[in-house]
Amino acid sequence: MKVEGSPGGARRILPALALGFACSAHAAPNDPVAWLARAAQASRQTTYEGVYVHTNGDRTSTVRVSHTNAAGEEHERIEPLDGDAMEIVRRNEEMYCRFPDAKTVRLDPRITNRFFPAILAASAETIAASYDVKLGKTERVLGYECQWIRLDPRDQLRYSQRLCSELASGLILRAKVLNGLKQVIEQYTFTDLRIGPQATRADLKSIFRARSRQWLTDGQPRDETATVDTGWTVAKAPAGFQKVAELKRLLPGRGEPVTQIVLTDGLASMSVFVEPAATPRVAEASSEDGTTAFHARPMGEQLVTVLGEVPLATAQQVARSVSRRP
Amino acid sequence: MTQEISSLMDGELEAHEAERAIRGCCANSDAAQKWQEYHLISDVMRGGRPHPSGTAQRVCRALESEPAIVARPRRVIDTTFGRVALAAAASVATIGVVGWIGTQGGQGPVPTATVAKSPAAVQPVVLQRSPAATEPAPDVQDYLTAHRQIPSAELYRTVTNRGTAAPAAAR
Repeated sequence: MKVEGSPGGARRILPALALGFACSAHAAPNDPVAWLARAAQASRQTTYEGVYVHTNGDRTSTVRVSHTNAAGEEHERIEPLDGDAMEIVRRNEEMYCRFPDAKTVRLDPRITNRFFPAILAASAETIAASYDVKLGKTERVLGYECQWIRLDPRDQLRYSQRLCSELASGLILRAKVLNGLKQVIEQYTFTDLRIGPQATRADLKSIFRARSRQWLTDGQPRDETATVDTGWTVAKAPAGFQKVAELKRLLPGRGEPVTQIVLTDGLASMSVFVEPAATPRVAEASSEDGTTAFHARPMGEQLVTVLGEVPLATAQQVARSVSRRP
Repeated sequence: MTQEISSLMDGELEAHEAERAIRGCCANSDAAQKWQEYHLISDVMRGGRPHPSGTAQRVCRALESEPAIVARPRRVIDTTFGRVALAAAASVATIGVVGWIGTQGGQGPVPTATVAKSPAAVQPVVLQRSPAATEPAPDVQDYLTAHRQIPSAELYRTVTNRGTAAPAAAR
């Protein structure tokens, strides 16, 4: 962990300077939902730079992230450190994904994408409707004092979550997803982090920016995110899941656009896809790995596919409640 | 065991050996005591203040309470006609190979799906279909990419090839 200045003092003061809301959040130190709201706000407002490790099932990846909020605009740069080189530069909801090997810039408004630590996609109150929110222990994580927030689902339709929120800033330093047996099936954790203004704007600019002026632009993902009436609906969305997007997009190998309906409860999300079946009689099929469940179900000449960070039974329930909009 | 603890403290053990030594310490009170004594000696020799007693016990308790990441086995659910395997991931780098198999009416042998063993093996979909399956099969990774909005470089070769790209107006 890199810490500038004198240990302890500066590190504690800088987040407070960076966050005007810190004092107000401290006003309700024992309210778990207020802690959740503070964590969500911190992920949007805080200036930070670091590297986190993400483990889902038996897969692990490492990602560098830099984030700031200037003049009311969020700026973020995300760089996976494993595999092919790429980066995502985000300004509010606009994402610019650059692929140096393919010399391509992809334009894609953020819908479902949630990069750690910005993993809360709805208000604290909305999330609290689906999860019992409690405060756990405080712990020293990465040199910071951290408050654990425990979220246990009010039903069997989603997983438990544990968020470790840094005391001074509220930023989430570690997050875990637990299955019904309370086993950790997914984890995010910073391994290196600087909070505060020392994470400069230079870290937020594309490292490919100069070169990418001559690259190709793929604007199709952006164009496809326009909300449309697809004619399909999830008749019985599980309690707490709200539709946040309905669109048509072209997936590789498809002759025509595929319907995509996105549901979220603020922490977990699912995408429901509907398309003409490639083969007339494909039986239902399921799989899950880590937190990701997949279920495909033929429906007449259509194929309904649900993929999301939910238990398999939830994905199956959703797949079976897809119908034509009346 | 004594030698193992000594080597552990000297940093001479490989990771798996170190783990075995630490676990061994926790399972054996004599070894735990030895661990404690070595640390006391070490601290005194360095001129520092000795650790408070009970270090070994605290380490053992911490190990027991540490939740391990559960590498849950991928569940592949066979159905009468279809079989699918999902290699799900949250980032581009760890999106593995996913195979989708569709057959018709049980004709022909039930094929198998192929799942990548290594994150490095980000390859085009490995697809095996029975002769009865006449249409290209969907790719789970396509759904994963669309859902997570984390595209892979592999996808962009497709984009480049399909001719819809235009010169960049990069920021």
